[in-house]
Amino acid sequence: MTDDNRLPRRRYLQLTAGAGAVALAGCAEDQDPDDLDTDDTDDDGTGETDDLEIVHWWTAGSEEEAFTALVDGFEEEHPDYSVDDNPAPGGAGAAIDAEIQTRVLDEDPPGTFQIWPGEALRDYLDADALEPVGDLWEDEDAYVDGVLDAAAPDGDLVIAPINIHRLNNIFYNVDVVEEIGVDPDEADSPEALLEMFEAADDAGYVGLAQQTQEPWGILQFWEMVFIGQHGVDAYEQFLEGDAESLESEIESSLDLVEQTSEYYNEDASSVAWDEANNDVITGDAAFHHNGDWAAGEYEGADDFEYGEDWEYAVFPGTEDVYTMVIDGFVYPANNPTPEATEAFVSYCTTTDAQERFNPHKGSIPPRTDASMDEFPEFLQNQMDDFEASGQQTVSISHGSGLNPAQADEVEEAFAVFSDNWDVEETTQELINIF
Amino acid sequence: MGFDIDRLRSRVGRRDPDSGADDVRTDGGTEATTGGSRFARLKHSDLVQSLPFWLPPALLMGLFVYGAIGWNLLISLTDWSGLQQPEYTDLSLEMYTQMPADASFVAAFRNTVVLLVVFTVISLLIGLGLAILIDRNIRFENTFRTIYLLPMALSFVVTAIFWSWMYNPSTGTINVILRGVGLDFLAMNWLGDTRTRLAAIIFALTWQFSGYAMVVYLAGLRAIPDSHYEAAKVDGAGSLRMYWRVIIPQLSAATTSAAVVLMVFALKAFDFIYVMFGDNPGRSADILAVMMFRVAFSRSQWAYGAAVATILFLMALSVVAPYLYMQYKRGDL
Repeated sequence: MTDDNRLPRRRYLQLTAGAGAVALAGCAEDQDPDDLDTDDTDDDGTGETDDLEIVHWWTAGSEEEAFTALVDGFEEEHPDYSVDDNPAPGGAGAAIDAEIQTRVLDEDPPGTFQIWPGEALRDYLDADALEPVGDLWEDEDAYVDGVLDAAAPDGDLVIAPINIHRLNNIFYNVDVVEEIGVDPDEADSPEALLEMFEAADDAGYVGLAQQTQEPWGILQFWEMVFIGQHGVDAYEQFLEGDAESLESEIESSLDLVEQTSEYYNEDASSVAWDEANNDVITGDAAFHHNGDWAAGEYEGADDFEYGEDWEYAVFPGTEDVYTMVIDGFVYPANNPTPEATEAFVSYCTTTDAQERFNPHKGSIPPRTDASMDEFPEFLQNQMDDFEASGQQTVSISHGSGLNPAQADEVEEAFAVFSDNWDVEETTQELINIF
Repeated sequence: MGFDIDRLRSRVGRRDPDSGADDVRTDGGTEATTGGSRFARLKHSDLVQSLPFWLPPALLMGLFVYGAIGWNLLISLTDWSGLQQPEYTDLSLEMYTQMPADASFVAAFRNTVVLLVVFTVISLLIGLGLAILIDRNIRFENTFRTIYLLPMALSFVVTAIFWSWMYNPSTGTINVILRGVGLDFLAMNWLGDTRTRLAAIIFALTWQFSGYAMVVYLAGLRAIPDSHYEAAKVDGAGSLRMYWRVIIPQLSAATTSAAVVLMVFALKAFDFIYVMFGDNPGRSADILAVMMFRVAFSRSQWAYGAAVATILFLMALSVVAPYLYMQYKRGDL
C-alpha cells in the first residue's frame, strides 16, 4: 500500500471523526431543552417556573406519609404550584448534607430543603446562602421563645419550623417496670435513673436499651444527663463554647453515662436504635432513651398500647425543660422558584400544614394554637408538657446546638468514649473542641 | 497490528529534525515538494493526522480525571471551609503539617495500612488455597467456583448489614455457633470491642473478596501445562513440594495483578464501614476514606478533606505505580 492510497482514507477518517465530534456536541446542545420540555421540569435557570423542588430525607414509613400529607395540603392551598419531590434518603440527613452543600456551592440550590434550625445553619448563614423568611411567617405570636430563637440564629428568622420532636423522654415497658418495683415519675435526677437501671438489672432485665454503633445514641443521652444534673443554663453555656469552666460538670455527667453503660443490652454495639428499642417491646429491656420518634415503633407494634404496655416519663432532672429536635424548610438564595418557595415556606407556618404533618410524623406542631384533636393521646400529652415547659433548648446530636464542624467533633469524641469509657480523656476532648 | 505500529514508529523516526529540512521526498510525492512549507509537512505528519483519534479522549481524561486530581491538590493547599468560595491566593502546606498531630488522622492512617496489608495477604492465601483445591478436578467444580465468587457480586451495603447481624454478640450466627460447640470463651463482642473491631471488618472483607483471588489464581493454574505437573511427579516430588517449587512460582503474575486489585478494594472499603458505623466509626475502625468524607461533608472542612484525599491518592498510586512499571519493563504495556 502506498502513501497515496492511505492518505485519502485517513482524511476520510479524520472527517468522520470531526463530524462525529460536532454531531455529539450538537446533540448535547439540542437535547437539553427538548428533554426538559417533555418532562416538564422547566429548570433551565430562567428562575420562572411553577415546579417547586423540595429536597428532604423523609422517604419511608410514617415520615413519608407525613411529607405526602404536607405536600397534598400545599397543593390544595396553592393549585398553581406543583411539587417536584427530590428525596435524598439516609437516616437523619446523612446524605442530604453532601447534596445540598455541593448545590449551594454551585449556586444551584433547590427551591427549598429540609434542615435543622439553629447552629445547623451556620455554614449557610456565613455564606449568605439563605434569605430571611420573617415576612412569610404567619402569626409569630403563636410560637414560644425557644422556637423563635432557634429559627433566628443571627436575629432574622431564616427557617420555617414544621415539627418539634422531644429528646428528654425516657420510655419504658410498663409490665417490666412494675415487676421491678420502681416508679419512673418519682425519679427526679439522673442518679435516680441509674438506680432504676440497677434495679432492672437485678431483676434480670436490660436496664437501658441503647445502640452504640453510631455515636449519637450516647451523645444524646449525655446531653440529657448534663441538663438533668446541671440545668439548661450550664448546657447553653457549653453550647456557647465556654466548656473550660464547666470541666467538673462535664466530668460528673460523663461519669454517670459511663456507669449506665453497664446496663446496656449486650448487643448495643451491633444494632441500630430501632432494634435496641425492640427490646422494650419484647419485654427484655425496661427503659429506652430516645427522641419521641421512638414512640412510632410502639404504636406500630401489635398489642402494645400507650398507657397500658408502654409509658414515658420526662428524663429525670429535666422536668421543666423541653429539649427540641426541630425540622424546617428554608429559602435558599439564588432561588430557582422564588414565588413557589415563598408560598411553601409560608404554608409551613400555618396551623393547617402543621396539623396535617405532625400526627403522621409523631411530633408536635411548633404553633401552640394548633388543634391537637386529631393527634394520638401521647402527642397530646407532649403538647401539654411543651406549653407548660419553662425552658426550651436544642440538642447537639440532632444538629441545632452546635455548628456542623463542632457537632461532628463532639460526635467523634463520643465515638471514642464508647470505645474506652475514659471520662477524663473525653472531658479534655470536649473542652478542646472549642 | 504489530506491523502497523512498526511502520508508525519508522515514520515518526523519519520526522526527526536531524533528517534535515530539505528532505522532502518522503511524504506524498508532488504535493509535498511543491508546498515545501513547514505547514504542509506538519499537516501530513502522523502526529497531526492521528490527533482526532487520541486527542478527544485524552482531553476528556485530562480534564475530568487528572484535572480533578490537580484541583483537589490545589484545594488541599488552601484553607477552604464552609460554604463560601475558596480563595487560592494564600497557598500553604498547613493541612498536611497538622496531620501528624491529629490523633484521628493517625488512627485512620494506621488502620488503612493494616487493612490494606492484612486483608490483601489473607485474601491471596485463601484464594490460592481454594484455587488449588478446585483445580484438582473435583466434582461440582463449577458450583463451588460460583459459590466462592458470589459474595463479590454483592454490594458492600448488603454485606455490611448482614455481617453486623452475624457479629451481633447475643443473637448473631457467629456467637451462637461458637456457644453451640462449647467455645463460649471465644464468643466475643466482635464489633463492640476495640480489639476485635478491625479484625472483624477484615474477616468480612476477606470473605467477600477471596473468591476473586481464587478466580485469578485458577486462570493462572489453568495456564500451566500439564507436563509441568507430570515432570515434577516423575522426578519424585510430593504434592506439597510440587506446588511449592514448581507451580506457585509460576503464579507470580497472577499474584501481582490480584494483589493490586485487592489493595485498591481495601482503600475503597468506605461503603462497608460507613453502612456499619456511619461516618464516626471510632479510632479502632476509622479509615482514611471514611475520614475524608467526614471531614469534607459533615464538617465542611473542604481543604482538610482534600488533603486526606491526596494522601489516599498517593497510597493508591504507590500500590499501582510499581505494578505498571513492572508491566512496562516486561513489555506488556
